[in-house]
Amino acid sequence: MRSFLLFILLLPFGLMAQNRATLSGYIKDSANGEALIGATVYIRSLATGATTNVYGFYSLTLDPGEYEVSFSYVGYTTRVKTISLKENTRLDLELEVEGRQLEEVVVSSEKEEQGTKSLAMSVNRLDIKTITRIPAFMGEADVIKSLQQLPGVTTVGEGASGFNVRGGSVGQNLILLDEATVYNSSHLLGFFSVFNPDAVKDTKLYKGAIPAQFGGRLASLLDVRMKEGNNKRHEVNGGIGSIFSRASVEGPLFDGGGSFIVAGRRSYADILARPFVDILNEGAALNFYDLTGKANYNINARNRIFVSGYTGRDKFFFDKQQGFSWGNNTGTIRWNKIFNDRLFTNFSTIFSKYDYALQFGNTERDNFRWKSSVQNITFKPAFSYFINTSNELSFGAEANYYSFEPANAYGTSNGTRIDIGLPEKYNLETALYLGNNQKLSSTVAVEYGIRYSNFMAFGSGSQYAYNDTIPGTRRTPVAEKTFARGERMITYHNFEPRFSIKAELNDVSSVKASYTRMSQYVHLISNTTASNPLDVWTPSTNNIKPETGNQYAVGYFRDLGEDRAYEFSVEAYYRSTENQIDYIDGADLLINQYLEGDLLSGIGRAYGMELYLQKKVGKLTGWIAYTLARTELKVNGINNNEWYAARYDQAHNLKLSGFYDISKRWSASANFTFVSGTPATFPTSRYVVQGILIPYNAQDSRNNVRLPAYHRLDVSFRLEGKTVKANGKPRRNTDYWVFGVYNLYGRRNPFSIYFTQGSDRVAQGSPINSEARQLSIIGTIVPSVSYNFKF
Amino acid sequence: MNGNEYMKAANRFWMKCLAVFLIPAVFYSCEDVINPKLENAEPILVVDAWINNLPDSQKIYLTRTQPYFEHVLPPGVSGATVTITDEHGTVYNFTEKNPGEYFWAPAGNTVFGEVGLKYSLTIQVAGETFAAESKMGRVPPVDSITFYMEKGNQFIDDLYLAEFWSTDPEEPGDSYWIKTFKNGLWLNKPSEILTAYDAGFSKGSSFGGVQFIAPIRRGINPFDTDENDRLLSPYQVGDSVYVQIHAISEASFNFLNEVAIQTNRPGGFGELFSTPLANVSTNIRNTAAGGSKVVGFFNVGAVSGLGRKFNSLDDLAEN
Repeated sequence: MRSFLLFILLLPFGLMAQNRATLSGYIKDSANGEALIGATVYIRSLATGATTNVYGFYSLTLDPGEYEVSFSYVGYTTRVKTISLKENTRLDLELEVEGRQLEEVVVSSEKEEQGTKSLAMSVNRLDIKTITRIPAFMGEADVIKSLQQLPGVTTVGEGASGFNVRGGSVGQNLILLDEATVYNSSHLLGFFSVFNPDAVKDTKLYKGAIPAQFGGRLASLLDVRMKEGNNKRHEVNGGIGSIFSRASVEGPLFDGGGSFIVAGRRSYADILARPFVDILNEGAALNFYDLTGKANYNINARNRIFVSGYTGRDKFFFDKQQGFSWGNNTGTIRWNKIFNDRLFTNFSTIFSKYDYALQFGNTERDNFRWKSSVQNITFKPAFSYFINTSNELSFGAEANYYSFEPANAYGTSNGTRIDIGLPEKYNLETALYLGNNQKLSSTVAVEYGIRYSNFMAFGSGSQYAYNDTIPGTRRTPVAEKTFARGERMITYHNFEPRFSIKAELNDVSSVKASYTRMSQYVHLISNTTASNPLDVWTPSTNNIKPETGNQYAVGYFRDLGEDRAYEFSVEAYYRSTENQIDYIDGADLLINQYLEGDLLSGIGRAYGMELYLQKKVGKLTGWIAYTLARTELKVNGINNNEWYAARYDQAHNLKLSGFYDISKRWSASANFTFVSGTPATFPTSRYVVQGILIPYNAQDSRNNVRLPAYHRLDVSFRLEGKTVKANGKPRRNTDYWVFGVYNLYGRRNPFSIYFTQGSDRVAQGSPINSEARQLSIIGTIVPSVSYNFKF
Repeated sequence: MNGNEYMKAANRFWMKCLAVFLIPAVFYSCEDVINPKLENAEPILVVDAWINNLPDSQKIYLTRTQPYFEHVLPPGVSGATVTITDEHGTVYNFTEKNPGEYFWAPAGNTVFGEVGLKYSLTIQVAGETFAAESKMGRVPPVDSITFYMEKGNQFIDDLYLAEFWSTDPEEPGDSYWIKTFKNGLWLNKPSEILTAYDAGFSKGSSFGGVQFIAPIRRGINPFDTDENDRLLSPYQVGDSVYVQIHAISEASFNFLNEVAIQTNRPGGFGELFSTPLANVSTNIRNTAAGGSKVVGFFNVGAVSGLGRKFNSLDDLAEN
């Protein structure tokens, strides 16, 4: 451990070169001062360059001399500057958005092509402009639904919370909003996500090759970065849709030394219904809202502070006392400090909490109240050391203090109150990481790193020992060991190496490969068809071992077409996982002191191939994504201990997204989805006990059949508002309408097929009817219209 | 509260909320009855042996599993030797009256068994022997039944509901199956399976030695709808209600909960909360390892009961 630290501290000095000068600074958008993430700084004569980090900072260390440096970013006009570099030079620069989108974009040869030239693989970035153009359910642009148009990303169906990446479960995605963990990314079950598009700047999904800086979940990292807010002028954005209305305000602070953005959304079905529905005036509620805010301040050229936060809640109350609600709260304080021109640091202090409450009973004498929450406080120093044009070293640490409140609950029966709560759990997850991004030659680059993670559980609390697993049977505790407050109960640790390599074959193509090892210490406990808001997060214990996974991926990337209008990639991955959680039949997952006795542990494997073809320029743009995949689990006590397909396994997954500019004011978008059916378990037989018809599967198999395929076409049309007033003067305000149709041909896509006896009461001694019913969550076409404005 | 009750409750709330708030999405969902082809399977023995201490003849049904979509009464299994033996060696012989129906009738004013004794079931059929054990559990008396009204709103009429009152005995570890009869008809829909562990819904919730919690006391109301999907009042003046508490073993309690999870499928958004189809447990075993499979359940338990007629609106108690 000590030598590891020493290594981190000394490495930069060993690599330090003499007599060189550093060019560094921030690259921003000239219109609003937003930092540009991933902008390119390129020195043609050396055929080398750098890209800006998530705060828009770049640093290039070169021999002194005169250089022609180009600064570029997709969709922005490239700026070329001649710089005479004698000593360390700070150069902050603003880029201007390219003219009207209808103009053909000319890709200059200097511009680095994202797909083939960058080291990143298994990464999908969606900027907010693309997200707002994808036809959306009820016309509400949505980050997570948009991600599902990308290869390797799936969902079990409409209404399901979260998403699945490369065979990972919903709880295996690390979702970060300005670095704060988002435990549940959904509003209204899974119909909408918690990210307000007005406040989002950039979303990046890592499906593999996750940098050493990140860890804690097996399958993926979704890194959502909020806007900083316009630091040039005040701006109001808003929209009125079928479900939400939205509004955001942003503007400069301290004479442009900082900026802020506040964005809110609220559903208003209940407000519209209030005059017609009496119970709404008597305490009933059905709504969801969220509020996202961020502010930043430049203390000086080397120090900048950011504060951001999110609060959101879904409420479903039948009257004042009965119903349920859930919500996330996050807060992040960040301090960017440039120690010197080559050492960029960020210190983050993060808070995140997810909680829900469920309550029944509308009298004092008889009721039931249940609250549950998970929260973490994180401190995360992160260092980037730009050693030279060939090496960018990153290192840092992370400490995460969790408290889990599985059930703060009581029930009252005819006046007698009984506490049925469960004890809280406390955990500390820490990590150290070191990574280097190294260019071995002008065509070969590698990124390698290691993350060491450690997880501890603290008292007060109890540890249980259970009897051995008998397939299909609940394990019962046989011994209990209690721990005092603060006493260490268990420790786990893992080394997580990460490696990726890129080799350019020629100017337009490259091959890449990566290996990623991840470990996960907190687990989402869910045995329902779709993940839902009342699922419980639980930490690793002596019985629940940390999940670990290895992912191997290889890919081929190529630019096509005369002006590189097309980008093509194919990636293949194989993932093996251990300590995957499954559940005994009839598991009791809520308010269960002996929850661990209802859990089973197994292994998983997932493999697949993802094809992606994107057309990036022209009147018609868009992409085709196709994934061929398989995800299986093997758990003692399920499916006769044989491999079985996971609930979210989908063999074929085809997504088409197209955007077409019809005229100066009209544009059209469409997306088509075809997904082969997800697995389901069907019975073979039936029998009757005590007058109840019970389904029976003679093979005792899990997921033995497939639901019919899912396919859907959505279209939307966007009408830009007039840009000039009647008197010919340009309008200061801009606005646009979006008219959309979801599920254009009204297919009744199956969400599930379930087996049930008929709904009528059957007299004793009469035969009982049985039937299979196919449920479509969205079984018709869903039109929508929304109006959006900006001034 | 166990997962199933939670599911039911959550689903009930969803249905209510969605129906009430006219959220557009609910109109977009739909269900179709389909006829998927199912795998074939060999029929196996089904044992339905629930024995109680009511002064009636006790019945054990032996049938076979059928193809899932075969809508006829299951075939009876004839020619079996069926006996129950208590821990003192007393043997109760069950004789076949109708195909697959085996009876034992108490003599005179006696009843079957004694609370606290262990009973073994033995079934010999087609050269194989099947066995199961159960201990006769105790039950508290049903103290009273009351009626109350829930005022309606623009979507629901005034509802008249029944509530039974009973107190779980002091020491923990009892489980019950509460059966309700409305005008003599047993309320036996899957959604009407009502079980209790001590005075609460599950072992973990540790309600013991108190009156049954409200959702159990009020779990005796049938929620049926008319042809226009309008909710009907569970009881009306003139109706009678009879409540039975059956003592069941913890294994039977788990079994019934699993049965409820597998069979109570209200559909709609409730499917989001449903768990994969799985076989429910059985406490019947083939005494020969590797012998043919068997499903079903054996339970011996005491029963208490009370009935009341809803004579007039004067019977309504304060809610």
